Amino acid sequence: MTPPLYIALRFLTHRKRALLLSLSGVVFGVAIFICTQAQTQGFARYFIDSTIGSNGALVIRSRFRPRYEPLMVSAKGSKATMGRRLYFEGITNPNEIMRVSRQFSNIVSCSPVLRGTVSARAGFENATVDLYGIDPALHAQTTDILHQLINGNFDDFRNNTSSIIIGSRLAELLQAGVGDTVQLLAPNGEFWRFTVAGIARAGIGSIDATRIYAHARVAQALLQQPSGATMIIYKLRDPNRAPALASRFETLFQHNASSWQEREESTLQLFLTLRMSVAITVSLIILLAGFGIFNVLTMSVLAKIKEIAILRSMGYRRIDISLIFLWQGAVIAVAGSLLGCSLGALMTWGVSHIPIRLRGLLYTNYFLVTWDWRHYAFATLLALIAVFIASYVPARRAAQLPPVVTIRGSR
Amino acid sequence: MNSQICLSCKGIERYLGEEEERVHALRGVSLEVEAGSVHAVVGPSGCGKSTLLYILGLLDPPDTGQVAIESKSVSHLSDDELARTRNKFIGFIFQFHFLMEDFTAQENVMIPMRKLGQLSDVQMRERANDLLEAVGLGDKLRRASRHLSGGEQQRVAIARALANDPRVILADEPTGNLDTANSDRAFELLQNIVK
Ligand SMILES: Nc1ncnc2c1ncn2[C@@H]1O[C@H](COP(=O)(O)OP(=O)(O)OP(=O)(O)O)[C@@H](O)[C@H]1O
Ligand SMILES: [Mg+2]
Repeated sequence: MTPPLYIALRFLTHRKRALLLSLSGVVFGVAIFICTQAQTQGFARYFIDSTIGSNGALVIRSRFRPRYEPLMVSAKGSKATMGRRLYFEGITNPNEIMRVSRQFSNIVSCSPVLRGTVSARAGFENATVDLYGIDPALHAQTTDILHQLINGNFDDFRNNTSSIIIGSRLAELLQAGVGDTVQLLAPNGEFWRFTVAGIARAGIGSIDATRIYAHARVAQALLQQPSGATMIIYKLRDPNRAPALASRFETLFQHNASSWQEREESTLQLFLTLRMSVAITVSLIILLAGFGIFNVLTMSVLAKIKEIAILRSMGYRRIDISLIFLWQGAVIAVAGSLLGCSLGALMTWGVSHIPIRLRGLLYTNYFLVTWDWRHYAFATLLALIAVFIASYVPARRAAQLPPVVTIRGSR
Repeated sequence: MNSQICLSCKGIERYLGEEEERVHALRGVSLEVEAGSVHAVVGPSGCGKSTLLYILGLLDPPDTGQVAIESKSVSHLSDDELARTRNKFIGFIFQFHFLMEDFTAQENVMIPMRKLGQLSDVQMRERANDLLEAVGLGDKLRRASRHLSGGEQQRVAIARALANDPRVILADEPTGNLDTANSDRAFELLQNIVK
């Protein structure tokens, strides 16, 4: 143990009230930071997992209409034409696109979907629904639909082409349970009868309130669609690289490809804004803790003027004196961060057990939290920086005190 | 070796205070101190004895003039080098006893040794005990320094000044707070150490 650290520890432990005060500031700052980040990110992560689990990380849609750019004379620097691409509805040659895209290392699996909007009727209830015609095996591989089933059986759906899976909120709306009949209205005015084989809950309100899954071939006949797929949805090994892959697919396949980040941009922005605003608020708490430590150490320097002069006369250098006060800050910062991280984890655990009934944007019965070591690392870093800045000024001041003035003036 | 000059100064001038309060405290002080000798600076209160001591102890720079330790001038030394020289070569005993409040008598004596860093923890503790015994405080080693009487504190300060076996001991009225018996004892102690 170096002499400055030894002296710092002694100074700290002999002023227990001040120590406790500065310590609690850091502890609560760090803990609250961790807990709030865990919550705000918890909801965001749940939303992201749900949207990727239901709609895939990457979706290929309509084919681009070729543009005859070399023939068109556009105004210099005009980029207006870039945004207005024209499409053919649906996917041309989905099997070929899937075959090629499976070669990409980031692709886990893909599932072609024939999508259309139809009216559904069950008993006296009506609803407009988003019909997904799927290949059950491929879709089960690509999405979380197996885990989303809260009622019924996926095998029943797979084995019966006239069965459907319906979203949980839609099921409530139509008052339809497993085994009930739901009728879907074909464009020619005919009602087709289906048996509900399962009820799925994606966790996202807009999906659960509108979605119906049917077998692709049946859906194609019902919707009277010529093409086999209106979109292909992908499961990726690394969803974070979806945007890059999307732009590659666009050039490769000449089809519109969009990543989940693009698809959910507005919701993600909402979550990000929320997280940032909470982070700023909590950073203020940590700043306040830093200010408290600044006060405590400044007082400590004033209280120890005599000691500083003695130490200097005995051969302690300016830097040693600075270190005594910087060490005090460091001990508070490290102990406070450690305690704060533990308390933060405890609070996060507690919060995750608070009941909350959400049925709108998200479906949950409890507060959602994430466990991310980066929250702990960032909170600790923030505390260390705040405390270092807070102790730097008093430490410098202590080092600059001329010992003779103190020794001469002391009676 | 004893006749070697261990501390000297030449033409020391020192002004204290600002503007109207400015006092010419030291006017051309020169002296040479041989190793193993004891000197007393005598004068009325306010004549500048303490001021001279701070300058000789490298705590305060003179306005003009030179201080030399073992014939080496210290005027060009940095603040850190001056501190190291103080730690190794000089022991201070101040007019007003100055102890570190949160530390015991023994720990106070060990503080200069910790800075020098030449002894192990056990050796430092033993040396501190020996020194405190020599000033008659062998039974109060672990007493918090603020719970010692004024005279006891001054004796701890004497022991602390001797901690690093300095070449020069600068004592500013070291016996001012002691009764005659303790005063004689402290003086005897200092003289024994010089020999
Ligand atoms: N900061 C200051 N400003 C102005 N004058 C000062 C200052 N500090 C000390 N003095 C004056 O300098 C002179 C020398 O002071 P010093 O403390 O060296 O005296 P001393 O000989 O040690 O006295 P004593 O025997 O009372 O301790 C005194 O007259 C004192 O009033
Ligand atoms: Mg004096």
